Amino acid sequence: MNAPFFPCAGSRALHAPTRREFVYGLGTSLGSVALTSLLAAEQKSPLAPKPQMVPAKAKNCIFLMMEGGPSHIDCFDPKPVLEKLHLKEFTREGKMKSAMESGKRYYVKSPFKFAQHGQSGAWMSEPWQHLSKVADELCFYRGCQVDSVNHPTAMYQMNCGNRFGGDPAIGSWVNYGLGSVNQDLPGFIVLPEISYPQGGSANWGNGYLPAHFQGTALRAKGSPILDLQPPQGITPEHQRANLDLLGKLNAKHAEEHPWHDELKARMNNYELAFRMQMQVPEVIGLEKEDAKTKEAYGIGTDATDAFGRKCLLARKLVEKGVRFVQLYAGTWDSHDYIERAHGNLIRQVDQPIAALIADLKQRGLLDDTLIVWCGEFGRTPDNGVRGGTAYGRDHNPKAMTIWMAGGGCKAGHSIGSTDDRGMEAIEEVHHVRDLHVTLLRLLGLDDNKLTFYHGGRFKQLSQIGGQVIDKLIA
Amino acid sequence: MLTRIACLLALIASTLHAEDAESLFVRRVWPLFQEKCLACHGNDEKKIKADYDMRTYESATKGGESETKALVPGKPDESPLYLASTRQHEDWEPMPPKEADQLKPEQLAWIKEWITSGAPWPDEAKRNVIAKASAEKWSAEDGITVKVVGALSPEWANRRYKPESLWGYQPVKKPVLSNQPSVHPIDELLAVKDPAPAADARTFIRRATFDLTGLPPTPEEVEAFATAYDRSNPSDQTDLIGTLIDKLLSSLHYGERMARHWLDVVRYADSSGFANDYERGNAWRYRDYVVRSFNADKPYDQFIREQIAGDALLESDAGTPARNDASSAGKSARITPNSELLIAPGFLRMGPWELTGMEVAKVARQRFLDDVTNSVGETFLAHSLQCARCHDHKFDPVPTHDYYAMQACFSTTQLTEREAPFLKEENTAGFEEKKHLETRRAEHMAVLQRLDDKLLQNAQKWLADKKLDSAKWNAAVTQAKKGGGKNPKKGFSDVFGTARQILTKQGLPEDSFPPKLVGFEPEDFGNERVARKGLERLKWEMERYEPYAFSVYDGVTIPMVTVYQPLRMPGDRMKNGELEQTAILGGGDPFSPTAKVKPGVLSIFGSVEFPEGIEGRRTALAKWIASKDNPLTTRTLVNRLWLWHFGQAIAGNPNNFGSTGKKPTHPELLDFLAATLVEKNWSIKEMHRLIMTSAAYRRTSFPTRSKTDESENSSYATFTPRRLMAEELRDAMLSITGELNPTLGGIPNRPEINIEVAMQPRQVMGTFASAWVPNPLPQQRHRRSLYALKIRGLRDPFMEVFNEPAPDFSCEAREVSTVTPQVFSLFNGQASYDRALALANRVLKEKAADPIVRIFTLAYSRQPTADEKAACEAHWQQMIAKQTTLTFAKTQPPLEIRRDAVEENTGEKFSFQEKLPGYTDFVPDLQPADCDAKTRALADVCLVLLNSNEFAYLY
Repeated sequence: MNAPFFPCAGSRALHAPTRREFVYGLGTSLGSVALTSLLAAEQKSPLAPKPQMVPAKAKNCIFLMMEGGPSHIDCFDPKPVLEKLHLKEFTREGKMKSAMESGKRYYVKSPFKFAQHGQSGAWMSEPWQHLSKVADELCFYRGCQVDSVNHPTAMYQMNCGNRFGGDPAIGSWVNYGLGSVNQDLPGFIVLPEISYPQGGSANWGNGYLPAHFQGTALRAKGSPILDLQPPQGITPEHQRANLDLLGKLNAKHAEEHPWHDELKARMNNYELAFRMQMQVPEVIGLEKEDAKTKEAYGIGTDATDAFGRKCLLARKLVEKGVRFVQLYAGTWDSHDYIERAHGNLIRQVDQPIAALIADLKQRGLLDDTLIVWCGEFGRTPDNGVRGGTAYGRDHNPKAMTIWMAGGGCKAGHSIGSTDDRGMEAIEEVHHVRDLHVTLLRLLGLDDNKLTFYHGGRFKQLSQIGGQVIDKLIA
Repeated sequence: MLTRIACLLALIASTLHAEDAESLFVRRVWPLFQEKCLACHGNDEKKIKADYDMRTYESATKGGESETKALVPGKPDESPLYLASTRQHEDWEPMPPKEADQLKPEQLAWIKEWITSGAPWPDEAKRNVIAKASAEKWSAEDGITVKVVGALSPEWANRRYKPESLWGYQPVKKPVLSNQPSVHPIDELLAVKDPAPAADARTFIRRATFDLTGLPPTPEEVEAFATAYDRSNPSDQTDLIGTLIDKLLSSLHYGERMARHWLDVVRYADSSGFANDYERGNAWRYRDYVVRSFNADKPYDQFIREQIAGDALLESDAGTPARNDASSAGKSARITPNSELLIAPGFLRMGPWELTGMEVAKVARQRFLDDVTNSVGETFLAHSLQCARCHDHKFDPVPTHDYYAMQACFSTTQLTEREAPFLKEENTAGFEEKKHLETRRAEHMAVLQRLDDKLLQNAQKWLADKKLDSAKWNAAVTQAKKGGGKNPKKGFSDVFGTARQILTKQGLPEDSFPPKLVGFEPEDFGNERVARKGLERLKWEMERYEPYAFSVYDGVTIPMVTVYQPLRMPGDRMKNGELEQTAILGGGDPFSPTAKVKPGVLSIFGSVEFPEGIEGRRTALAKWIASKDNPLTTRTLVNRLWLWHFGQAIAGNPNNFGSTGKKPTHPELLDFLAATLVEKNWSIKEMHRLIMTSAAYRRTSFPTRSKTDESENSSYATFTPRRLMAEELRDAMLSITGELNPTLGGIPNRPEINIEVAMQPRQVMGTFASAWVPNPLPQQRHRRSLYALKIRGLRDPFMEVFNEPAPDFSCEAREVSTVTPQVFSLFNGQASYDRALALANRVLKEKAADPIVRIFTLAYSRQPTADEKAACEAHWQQMIAKQTTLTFAKTQPPLEIRRDAVEENTGEKFSFQEKLPGYTDFVPDLQPADCDAKTRALADVCLVLLNSNEFAYLY
């Protein structure tokens, strides 16, 4: 295929800006003019690859979104002091108290044993049986803080920088900044759970960026892309015949409106779509992967099958040049029964993630690929008595663990720390906007240059600008 | 080039006299520091970046954490302050960091010249003396200062503005026109050179009909108009156009079309967004209020007053004449509520909002206040006020004090779903669908009953396993069962929980009786949650059929922890809460109040009398906004109207008239329209008449010049074609198939959306939202897209791919992009295939003399050419052969669906069956199985036409 496939050649906002289009286009915003000026004039596609703004190793990103708020205290940030405090009463003071924190509260120790792994001595809880084997590939970060204590707003903030939704997701920004090396696939692909997270698809929306940068969800069940196939009974040949008639009518119409450039873009779009519906199933199918690889990812085993498939597909997509792949797993919102809930969740993602890292490394792709693992916030060391004798944890925007692998991050290090109870970050503390700036930097982008004019001002992922967390970069 | 270098050299070489250098600092350099540097380097002492403080000469010279002297007087090229600003030096990070903020060459030259001249830094007192002495001279050259109230710093208060960036605040000045009867005032003001001729009659009626109703004209309307038009002389043609516009303006679909535009701006949705995304059961009454208002040509100033303060107008008895002749005889003691005035302020609540137990109540309250302040600013004043939430506005003369003064107008505004009897103008049909919700409620109750029984069994097992005496437990259970076991607080059966409460109250130790949710399996956890939260969600959905308005009242702020059911009016709205005292919030944080602020307006316009009690604040604000002398208000509206007709606004950012928004391309025209609006008693319909009778609007979209001739798109030499909006596309399809149900208003309907999305499980707080089940009858589903239930967390993918804006932010103008998923939706999707089949069926059933001709006139408002007709005929025949070989089975709607999910408590997968009672009496649209091959083959032709460019674009 020569023509770009998903982000068709035809958005008024994006394709090569002949003056004509501004003459006859509609609603062209200054933003799109700014963007088109970003594109070299000869570039035909909005998603044509663009050079990095600053030198960096990572070219792609696989973002593992552990929706619901995984507990740092039970995964990567052991707090032995909680053993002693276990079930001792806890009182929270202060104005920021919500109903979640009402009633009697108690400290809760982690049900999991912790051990250090690899040469770096990274702490991990017992259920991380596989990830612990690639411990030295990971860079842990314990200093991040977010603003919101509520899922959807925290999810929006982690994904899009803004708590209230409607802003572009990181994957959209990255594609806007770097373009895509594969014009035949969307540059930003999301592999959601069967049930969408709170806040829905706005978590991977393009916001005010042009629609080409929207995350394309490959749905976990049913048609991976909505209406990818024609209604039942309609063969490709049948559809081809319809397309030919459409071509005829459109050609005549275009002849009568030679100055109207959008028409051609829209015509091309139909041909692209037709090719796409043949090719996508093959691109995203895992049938041709060998049995050993599938086994390594945990495919075929009940607990790990679903996430294993996502991880393997993520590798395939990155290999094909998809710039940004985001995987969802959840929900990690374990207010009760943390041992059971987190234990199960860790088991579901542990082996697939470890396999992904090993696989990328073996294929020489890990240096090029930044892997990020995080939730929208961490969890508290205490809990109310929601489930009687069941122990869980509430939401904690002040402390969390994020880890990265590959892509020029500082592997084999743990950066930042939280207080002795895991309540609050105390060292190398940064607002999530700095994390965003750092992720962009790892991908060769400068948040201060990656701006888009919208609604009368230049907007950026970090909202107001932030600083790179240098310690996270190798 | 040479001259430029020479100039630069001259600049570098120049050193100024000491006085001039000081002046340069006061006039140029210091304001530049203020604007570009001090936000990070001094204004907030706690947050000084890189330890570099630029507030004084000493600190600015000393440098920051680099420990290098930042300012070397006389030597700009050794001064990092300058070098960083050039963005070219490898040792110094470019400053300011944001590329969009970079200094202009002129500004860099000022800094350079100032340093070269010794970098004098007069102190504040001296700066004021210099500024005062030179005020007049500078004012002429540099722009003007404006008087505002409460600026955080004198520098900001004395900031100079280029007069052209203050255009929005200037009084509207109606331009003097030549008054030649032959020249339309709009055309005189546009002064288009080399204009294209008028569009032909068919093109024009299609354009005007879509623009005013969002629907295509019928073939009969097109024929009648075109025949008359083509027979007439130019003067009669003008009359015909006037008549057509009048007819369209009197169509009730006009209000629907305008409502679509208005609801884009105000972010209308039928749900709250965020974690719960609860339905806003009665938001539809606001949507219909907007339709009614446009149809009635309600004067715009009144429309504003009602939306900002309708409830208060009602209470002051200064309401609209459209009074409700309520049949609320039983409540004779009370004044009949004028529901319209209670519905209108729903506007104030259009933003996403909720208060869950996970959130701090004060933060949520502040979110509402910030949202409404900004929304009022954007909607009516074209001012994005949120930019002044944390600091004085960076570019516009809006001090943060103004922001909070405007906010104070809402600090006594409280959210409520308040009683408002249905008006006779409101469509209250279809309430019988409530029965499906009642079925669902009964099912949830049954699940909870079953789980309660199960818990009681598990309890016995637990006691036995632990070998504990069960006597006390059993006694508690017996006691709990009295009165049917229903927990009045929860509204469902909870014997187990009640028994536990009894024993807890008796002071029994926790480990002596069964724990909460004892013995639950993952499935039980999931089912319990789904049922319990489902009951909660139903309360909001049931609200749809109740005579309550999504509204507000004035009162004190009553403490709240969570909002999980509709908020009713409190007994006494002046008591049991806090009279909020608005203050400037440090960093926008509700826990960091600083100076107290009284209610007020944008102070650049001078002060306005405001009541400071609980009541009357919004009324005063509305009065100020809806004043004929408020130039922002009138310009904002006419600018939007222009956009809605021409696809481009006169001032390019209809929500932002500030200095960063685009300037008006035709300022005189904008003022002419604004002045005319007031003259015409704020009549919007008059404005349509004015705009649509201009030659500019009537022009063809065919350029008269060669393609190489490039002109500005704002020249209006031709009419700019546009793609139909998502809603127009769907409505037009329904219209030409004859399926469209033109009924106005009423509870939201649920058309069929992509079935996979409809059935997609969707997480909301603690549970899953219920599936999207379409209305049972085709005529219920085939309403205009305006009426489709709009859930923030579940968008109709068809609408979404065709650029329907998300209702999170105000949409000032729709984007139009061409992306591949549009093809999947329109060419492969079920809905467009259904329309194609319906169109084919209609044409064949009508026994049209020539089906292909009929289809063309319906879809394109014109006859096919011979070639087109031949191609379509041939295709039809070819497809008959193909379709004859195909057989289709009837599809059955799903009556229940299995939901697979990960259970929150256990992290284990669990699944449950969601019943879909709404599908029980479902009547599908015409299906392929109902049609013969001939019809299906013609549907192939129709599908092609519906996908064609000629159908999608309006010329």
